[in-house]
Amino acid sequence: MTRYVLRRLAALVPVALGVATLTFAIVHLVPGDPVVAMLGETAAPADIAGMRHRLGLDLPLWEQYGVFIRGLAEGDLGESISYRKPVASLIAERFPATLELAAAGLLVGIAIAFPLGIVAGAKPGGAADLGAMGFAIVGISVPHIYLGPLLMIVFSLHLRLLPLTGRGGLSHLVLPAITLGTALAAIIARMLRQSLIQVRQSDYMRTARSKGLTETQALVRHGLRNALTPVITLLGLQAGALLTGALITEVIFSWPGVGRLLIGAIGARDYPLVEGCVLAFALTYVVVNMATDLAYAMVDPRVRLQ
Amino acid sequence: MNAPRALSLLATAWVCAMLAGGCARSTSAKPPGYIQVDIETSPTSTDPRFSTDAISSRVNELVFDSLVRIDQTGNFTGDLAESIERPSATRIVFHLRRGVRFADGRELTARDVKFTYDSILAPESLSPKRAAMQPLAAIDAPDDYTVVMDTREPYAPALELAMEGIVPAGTPLPRLAVAPAPPGAGPFRMASYSRDEAVVLERNPDRAEPPGAARGIIFKVVPDPTVRALELMEGVCDLVENNIQYEVIPYLGARPNLVVDKSPGTAYQYLAFNFRDRRLGDLRVRRAIAYAIDRETIVRSYLRANARVATGMLSPENWAYDGAVTAYGYDPGRARRLLDEAGYPPGPDGMRKLKFEYKTTPEGARLAEVFQAMLRRVGIGLEVRTLEFATFYADIQRGNYDLTSMQWVGINDPNHYYMVFDSRSTPPNGFNRGSYSNLQMDRLLEAGSATIDPQMRRRIYADVQQLAAEDLPYVSLWWQDNVAVMNRALAGFVPYPNGSLRSLAAIRLAGASEAEPGE
Repeated sequence: MTRYVLRRLAALVPVALGVATLTFAIVHLVPGDPVVAMLGETAAPADIAGMRHRLGLDLPLWEQYGVFIRGLAEGDLGESISYRKPVASLIAERFPATLELAAAGLLVGIAIAFPLGIVAGAKPGGAADLGAMGFAIVGISVPHIYLGPLLMIVFSLHLRLLPLTGRGGLSHLVLPAITLGTALAAIIARMLRQSLIQVRQSDYMRTARSKGLTETQALVRHGLRNALTPVITLLGLQAGALLTGALITEVIFSWPGVGRLLIGAIGARDYPLVEGCVLAFALTYVVVNMATDLAYAMVDPRVRLQ
Repeated sequence: MNAPRALSLLATAWVCAMLAGGCARSTSAKPPGYIQVDIETSPTSTDPRFSTDAISSRVNELVFDSLVRIDQTGNFTGDLAESIERPSATRIVFHLRRGVRFADGRELTARDVKFTYDSILAPESLSPKRAAMQPLAAIDAPDDYTVVMDTREPYAPALELAMEGIVPAGTPLPRLAVAPAPPGAGPFRMASYSRDEAVVLERNPDRAEPPGAARGIIFKVVPDPTVRALELMEGVCDLVENNIQYEVIPYLGARPNLVVDKSPGTAYQYLAFNFRDRRLGDLRVRRAIAYAIDRETIVRSYLRANARVATGMLSPENWAYDGAVTAYGYDPGRARRLLDEAGYPPGPDGMRKLKFEYKTTPEGARLAEVFQAMLRRVGIGLEVRTLEFATFYADIQRGNYDLTSMQWVGINDPNHYYMVFDSRSTPPNGFNRGSYSNLQMDRLLEAGSATIDPQMRRRIYADVQQLAAEDLPYVSLWWQDNVAVMNRALAGFVPYPNGSLRSLAAIRLAGASEAEPGE
């Protein structure tokens, strides 16, 4: 197990290198100039040259790449052009907010999906199944940009239960988490339902029933655990969707996370900050997927991590 | 431990942590006597020597006083300067008010003014304001209350150079873009600045507070326009200016707790041509496009009557405005005839072989579709390219477009015409991005820039406005109104044509600070 984790962690290095190289190439290839964004289009050529030198943008591109990769190897993501602050510290300031939002979205997703999926999967074709799957369709179809303000109108404006925007205590987290978690809940619920329907037809479930267990007992004690494996796979894959969903949700709810940092950085052509944020998102995704693989072993003893 | 149990434990731990955090962290409630203004983006700099974006200017003019500023009629007025002399065409002398203090208690003197300008002009500052300061030859402080400003050549709009917020002498160049603001002599001081969240201003203790005035202002960053409207409805936010979707304004105006203040604005929307394209170099084609665009309908329907059809860059509020210029009413028949004359008769399918690339931002995409539909009626095809702003802006600067539409905000002096239409003003010398060149226009603009006498300048710019309408380097579209949606309890808000929020210095919250609950 430990060896497996270490090996997976070691695999992060080429992933990081690949993501860093790709992001570096893309941000430097798209049109737009951070120096013009800072100094304006009427800046004197001498000022433009001075700023380029100060930011190291006067070096040939391959040398800039070398500096970037060397910094990365030393754990230095460089300095943000627009904030004039180390990228790592900016991300460290904002990352907890994004993680908090994504984790809350995940929990909301699970909290909604499990009852729905189980109810639907226990009696496929029944009224509960139709209702649950109807919700799932709506959940997948409604975009964050619409659901967020809708929740605000109901819970903040009319019921006056929750604050509209900003990051604060638990009350501030409820609406963004529901916004982010609803689509996820819909996807998980559908997967769980499908998985349960298959599990219910398996031999060991028949055995459980013949032992005298009720359908519910058999499902809870034997079926659910087996039905979880594909759901966990799905959760890992959805981590990316959660992070990108957090990006939009952060804008709607004025949530000060990495997503908004990244959007601002793209607009200002803040190369180091864009590279740092994308790298942070990519590594989070990889780590979450590693955790998913570890979770398999916990759920299904047949899975051996090698 | 099995997985469901692990998950439930994790969830419980997280909820407990969040509850604890929720108790420890303060909520975003306003302190009593504060008003909240929602803004779309964060100010990029807290140091007036470096801030060039509109929202930084709005916030900084409440924190830093300048030698002169623009008043609510759109004219210059003394701020730190109690009197101004112009002894020669290249010299302005400012006599400062006495007893003005920075928020840290120090008295503001001419030395601080000289320091502020010198630190912008120093090559090592790399301030984005250096380019606009090029006409300035020197600034001197012969005594504590006199500032002498010399320009290299006679420069009529020199007072525009005197609008920089003054910082105390010795204020270092900011090492961090998000450094705390230096003390200013304005009505407020910056209590906190949290990028992408909020800027909080509190009263400058060294300035007399107008009776009953708000004790502080919270500029909260709310990027989503729908959410800004919701915050107004809930009474969390007290004021949003020019940042509300037009279709929502009547609905907000009908709410019992809100009031809409609409006033004429100077923001000028135009359609720009690229003169490097031979087809657009033909005046008949430009005129055809001007006749093909139904500006009255766009203003009435698309803009919901929140704008005025423009005759030129200068709005009627500007002292040099002259609206008696060639006008282009909607006339698609005439547009077609002009295109025929220019050698673009329609083909068998009824369409002309005339296609232009129109570049725009995602925000401008809807407007692009309106232009596309209107030009299609006269047989001009518009290929709309929607680009993210930085890419769009890079293309426009490089002249990589046929047609585009943008907006000029904050036009004060008519010398702005020089910056956009003089043939010497192609980037980086100015904003003539379409490489427009007209000898007569150049002569007029260079005379306008060097003439100090206002009456003579007025005559020159009347000719400039007529020539611009005749020769069409731009098609003038509209001047956007300033629309402020605010808490009915706010008193003392004064709209400025340039959208300035300077009147927040004396704004009052009449009665309860909380608005009526929503329905």
